[in-house]
Amino acid sequence: MLEIKCPYCGNRSQNEFAYGGDATVKRPELNSEISDQDWDHFVYYRKNPRGNHLELWHHISGCRQWFKVLRNTATHDIIQTMEMKENP
Amino acid sequence: MSQEFRISSGGLIDRSKEISFIFNGKKYTGYKGDTLASALLANGVHLIGRSFKYHRPRGIIAAGVEDANGKVQLYKDSITEPNVNVTEVELVEGLRIESQNCWPSVNFDVGGINNFLNRFFPAGFYYKTFMWPKSFWYNVYEPFIRKAAGMGKASLDPDPDRYEHQYEHCDVLVVGSGPSGISSALSAAKNGARVILAEDKARFGGSLLTDNVTIGNKKGDEWVEDSISELKSMPNVIVKKRSQVFGYYDHNMLVMFERCKDHLKNPEPYTPRQRLWYIRAKHVLISTGSIERPLIFANNDRPGIMLATSAREYLKVYGVLPGKNPIIFTNNDTAYETAIEFKANGIESIVLDTRKSSNAGVVQEAKALGIDIKFNHGIANTSGYKKVKSATVGELNESKNGYKNLTTIPCDSIFVSGNWTPTVHLASQSGNKLKYESETDTFLPNQSRQQETVIGSANGSFTLKESLTDGFSKGYQISDEITKNGIETSIPISDEKDFGSHDKFWCMPLPNKKHYKRFVDFQNDVAVSDIQLAVREGFRSIEHVKRYTTLGMATDQGKTSNLNGLQLVSDLEKKIVPEVGHTTFRPPYTSVTIGTIIGREVGKNYRATRKSPMHEWHEKHNAVFVDAGLWLRPRFYKRGNETLQEAAKREALNVRQNVGICDVTSLGKIDIKGTDSAEFLNRVYTNAFLKLPVGKARYGVMLREDGMVFDDGTTTRLAENHFHMTTTTAQAANVLSHLEYYLQVVWPELDVNVVSTTEQWAGAAIAGPKSRELLQRLFPEEDMSNEGFPFMGFKELEFKNTIARVFRISFSGELAYEMNVMSDYGEEMWNEIISQGKDLGIQPYGTEALSTLRIEMGHVAGSEIDGRTIAYDLSLEGMLSQKKDFIGKRSLSRKAFTEDNREKIVGVVPIDKKTSIPEGSYLVENAKAGFPNPKLGHVSASCWSVEYDNPFSLAIIKDGKNKKGEKLFAVSPLKNKIIPVEIVSQHYVDPEGKRVRS
Amino acid sequence: MKKYSVFSLVKNALNHHKDWEVAWRDPEPKKEYEAVIIGGGGHGLATAYYLAKYYDLKNIAILEKGWIGGGNVGRNTTILRSNYMHDANNLFYEQGMQMWRDLSQELNYNVMYSPRGILNLAHSDAQLNAYARRGNSMRLNGIDAALLGREEVRKMIPFADFTENARFPIFGGLLQPIGGTARHDAVAWGYARAADDMGVDIIQHCEVSGFDVDNGKVTGVQTSKGNIKTNKVGLCVAGSTSILAEKLNMTLPIEAHVLQACVSEPVKPLLDGVVTFGAGHFYCSQSDKGEMVMGGDLDGYNSYAQRGNLPTIQHVLTEGVALFPNLSRLKILRTWGGIMDMSMDGSPIIDKTHIDGVYLNCGWCYGGFKATPVSGLTFAHTIARNEPHELNVPFKLDRFHTGHLIDEKGLGTKTWIS
Repeated sequence: MLEIKCPYCGNRSQNEFAYGGDATVKRPELNSEISDQDWDHFVYYRKNPRGNHLELWHHISGCRQWFKVLRNTATHDIIQTMEMKENP
Repeated sequence: MSQEFRISSGGLIDRSKEISFIFNGKKYTGYKGDTLASALLANGVHLIGRSFKYHRPRGIIAAGVEDANGKVQLYKDSITEPNVNVTEVELVEGLRIESQNCWPSVNFDVGGINNFLNRFFPAGFYYKTFMWPKSFWYNVYEPFIRKAAGMGKASLDPDPDRYEHQYEHCDVLVVGSGPSGISSALSAAKNGARVILAEDKARFGGSLLTDNVTIGNKKGDEWVEDSISELKSMPNVIVKKRSQVFGYYDHNMLVMFERCKDHLKNPEPYTPRQRLWYIRAKHVLISTGSIERPLIFANNDRPGIMLATSAREYLKVYGVLPGKNPIIFTNNDTAYETAIEFKANGIESIVLDTRKSSNAGVVQEAKALGIDIKFNHGIANTSGYKKVKSATVGELNESKNGYKNLTTIPCDSIFVSGNWTPTVHLASQSGNKLKYESETDTFLPNQSRQQETVIGSANGSFTLKESLTDGFSKGYQISDEITKNGIETSIPISDEKDFGSHDKFWCMPLPNKKHYKRFVDFQNDVAVSDIQLAVREGFRSIEHVKRYTTLGMATDQGKTSNLNGLQLVSDLEKKIVPEVGHTTFRPPYTSVTIGTIIGREVGKNYRATRKSPMHEWHEKHNAVFVDAGLWLRPRFYKRGNETLQEAAKREALNVRQNVGICDVTSLGKIDIKGTDSAEFLNRVYTNAFLKLPVGKARYGVMLREDGMVFDDGTTTRLAENHFHMTTTTAQAANVLSHLEYYLQVVWPELDVNVVSTTEQWAGAAIAGPKSRELLQRLFPEEDMSNEGFPFMGFKELEFKNTIARVFRISFSGELAYEMNVMSDYGEEMWNEIISQGKDLGIQPYGTEALSTLRIEMGHVAGSEIDGRTIAYDLSLEGMLSQKKDFIGKRSLSRKAFTEDNREKIVGVVPIDKKTSIPEGSYLVENAKAGFPNPKLGHVSASCWSVEYDNPFSLAIIKDGKNKKGEKLFAVSPLKNKIIPVEIVSQHYVDPEGKRVRS
Repeated sequence: MKKYSVFSLVKNALNHHKDWEVAWRDPEPKKEYEAVIIGGGGHGLATAYYLAKYYDLKNIAILEKGWIGGGNVGRNTTILRSNYMHDANNLFYEQGMQMWRDLSQELNYNVMYSPRGILNLAHSDAQLNAYARRGNSMRLNGIDAALLGREEVRKMIPFADFTENARFPIFGGLLQPIGGTARHDAVAWGYARAADDMGVDIIQHCEVSGFDVDNGKVTGVQTSKGNIKTNKVGLCVAGSTSILAEKLNMTLPIEAHVLQACVSEPVKPLLDGVVTFGAGHFYCSQSDKGEMVMGGDLDGYNSYAQRGNLPTIQHVLTEGVALFPNLSRLKILRTWGGIMDMSMDGSPIIDKTHIDGVYLNCGWCYGGFKATPVSGLTFAHTIARNEPHELNVPFKLDRFHTGHLIDEKGLGTKTWIS
């Protein structure tokens, strides 16, 4: 079971969290012109790297904050966790 | 005489407490402290069961979890359990065991014929045959094979025992209580670390219980006892025996099961049978020791053939002689200690050693004791069907591929030793890439992947001195990184016997021109010839060999066979062992009871049950409940012998005619506050929310970014910057996460806070033409007129001693209100409504009537909002604002979403006005068309329209917008139904929506 | 290739099995091939086999970075079925079922196809209705299916929880009688042996490190065993698809996730067919050896590690015991994980790519094993003809642009909960 350091609550076991996928996917601005390709990539396409992956987790059974985790998808090692406003 | 193989004194068993048990119908006795295995051996019983494929007689080969053969069906009280390992079960009163995989009995097993035909059943034979005629595989051969396989019988009854879970954190987890384990635990604990020491057996000490050594001035077993007492006395230490650490998972999460109950004579009623420990350790010291390897020779699987150190363990720990006339067969020095120990108990043995000589101290000692040693000898064959009777032995020739001469030596047992395999499973599970040490022919841990350190013989330190040094120093180093106390424990002096190196020769040649089986994997009957065949057929990778031959795939997971198999493959392929590699070690290290893994989430506790505050009232009024996610909701309130359909009709009709009350507590409720709340809702919902006036509710639809409808509900503006959102029961949790995602991840600049208030409010829907009057009675002071409280209005009112939130919203299509009070007042509210509504004809209605009401009104619900429909499909396109952007809007321009004949919701009425259309039916033009019959769409929901007293359904069909008035067929081949139908409007009742506004 | 038969078995037995020939050769790669299939899993091996058999390509190589059959074809729970709702899936997998029926004879290798039935349990009327929708869809496509009531289900699995104690009582279920299992390793080995017999070079321990692309056309692949020229490359590397696609500058609507499975110790026959639990995500069958083979949820985060964590196994087994309370007393023998190509609508992708001569076969989620024959056939067609077979037309990549998605579960793009 992964141990994830919530930036707000500290180290907790994974069963307190929900996964939220690739954190590098940026939602296009509302009311902006968006090409089909950009929209398709936002909705469906993922880099899906083997190695470090910046991803979202949600502390649903805790503080209910979304935050970012830099985790290696090959080893499951967590390199860093951070608040949404922070970057690795 | 009973227990004729028990010596009169010695061992760690309690001879004052005799315990009886039954094996294959016969009563035997043993002592407290025995395992089933030691008790059976004490009675001279070696034949335990039959092997998987050839049904060969098999006996106990080891004294621990590595044993491959001693599997029995166990019966105790009303419980039966298959594949129980006799070496792991502690003897208690009331055990009955039976041999497995044999019929009619273990002594006479019809399946034994397989052994005589074994040349026709080599590895993978089933891939090459059983193919003709075609259907015979699954009609004839496979059923036969399934019956023949399978070992023990599963109980058909629920498990009466209970299991618990425990979560622990520690600084250092020490796995295994041999010399290195105890010493590292002592040293870490004295340095202030929080330590857990886990031992899988019923006694601490590991090899110290069997080896003749001294530590400090104490004998090995005394040192164990004193050390464990010391550890137990320390508040920072948890010491656990009967506890197997079986899995090493990510981020240093270790998992262990503890056997709490089965060994107890009179367990307390609530003693769990086993306890699962999730242990998050800062560091793990793996001191799991090593397992002796068998030697491989012809017919090496007969009962009575056992690992040499296990034989010594039976003698030293249990006072049992596994044989009185043993041959000891070895390629290394450790087996000599077994010969010496047996000699000390008056048992003479012959030692056959494959090596030309050995100068080790222990060999000199054996020589001095007069033990008969034959160097450069091997066993060419054995005899004895149900128990070994003799061995054919011979001097090995120069190249060790044959024998110079062969003689037969009678014996009642053969104790073998083919070197040692470090138990590296946990390290490998952690991700440690093992390295091969050719000097000792072992795979040893290499670079740690997580926070683990392997010590003692698991790390290739095979002497006591090394193990103690390793244990004390690593225990200190690792604990000091955590505690920084700097308290170092000195290493005691130790004394042990002197052992030299082993012979790299371990697979004996067959006698000339003979094709005897030399077994590598005893339980799965994998012989040398099978591995040879696999390699011959091109199965080169060790994983291929494993899968093709089933080597190491039995319940013992190859603990005694994997290394031998690997060496064989490397010899055959003329590669070095590390090039062949090893198969992956996966958890669990030993089999784990499923009940232990799941703990208390069984039966009704499988999932939480959510009940509304009015649940007891519903129960008292004959509610029949339905699961709605985790919620239990009244489906209908049964009167007399009513069926579900009759009750739903009655309840729904009463809503249409009088007034009904429905528990809507389970609807998701989200409180939304902040200066940007309206802006946020305007982005979340497809329709406009910016200008929603305070005190007004609005129906809203939300989409996923892929354009699919996600959820719907009403949201009310309680104050300028305060909203109350409702969601469907099913999506409540998902909608909250969705909102939090957009607020925290996408638009953090918005000043909005959301919190779930689902459980804070009890909700009742009051629906029907008489609902206004009822409301007026509840709130006599309030203006409840259509003008005073219009459709989609909201009022916060005083009710009893609390506040009620009253919304004029409707799901039934009738004039209706929804009233929320704090959960604690829910029942009071409900009772008050019922009592005030009595003379108005109020009846409670359940989800079935609720469905009826919404279906005939054409309102969509979960069966339409199924994650595959867009707003257009549900005729909710009017809800899509053209003026603003919202979540998912950009997806709606996709080609598939704008196609002219896109599916759309319609109403469906059977032409005969009688035949109900089963949900899940399809609409087709031609009911008799061939396959595949093109589908126009499916029936998503059906009801008996109480308004028109005929069946009515909703369907989502291709080009639905142009289908009204068409005659089609609703077909349900599963139910043999073909129903001519007419397509009508989805709004079957009150299409203009007058009632809700009345 | 010497044929396997009862007679060959007896003949070889008399000679102590000394004369069996290798099941497949172990050749060095040639300089050039007509087609190169990357990935020696079930789909790759089947693709090569059908290319050689039906599409007249003889000079074919399969490049496998490890050992053949080591990926998901050797790690799955061996379930075969075509009980889908969408026509595209329904018809595609049904073609697969027809192929399974004859596969042992076709390959001269007993893949142990065993139609013991697959039963999806429902725990409410609403769920039963959802299954009815699925079953009726199957029936209208000519696929046998039956809707069973509680009592009919009880006859099939009397040891399931039919007591008051069940948290989610069994209401009924959808049965596909010809659903069942096959022996997974045998499928890989059978295709390998049959493909090798037709001259396909199976090259193990050969990792592809790059592609040679000239003017939008593929001209070769770079491997750990040297460069190989070819004009047709088929990617069959579920679990590594995104990694190879990245070398072609492609991003895909796929995420890699780990799915665990486990088996119990073997017991005498208990469960005949395959059963899925409807109030959770749990499926179970019993192998011919007697092991209960069980699986369920993904671990739930992107992963390329072929290992999972215990809480998921705990979760799955909790569901197992909720369905079959007697399982509690059995013991788990082995757990393992495989990497799934989770596509964004839960359905596979078999298509051409933006590079001429590069073809894509991926996104099988956790349903790839049953598709092995039909995936191989349709992918072979797509590669040989440079256009899709009629059965894989719906599985094009551009559905993620047009919106013609094939979403069986309606869960959308959160692959980790699907």
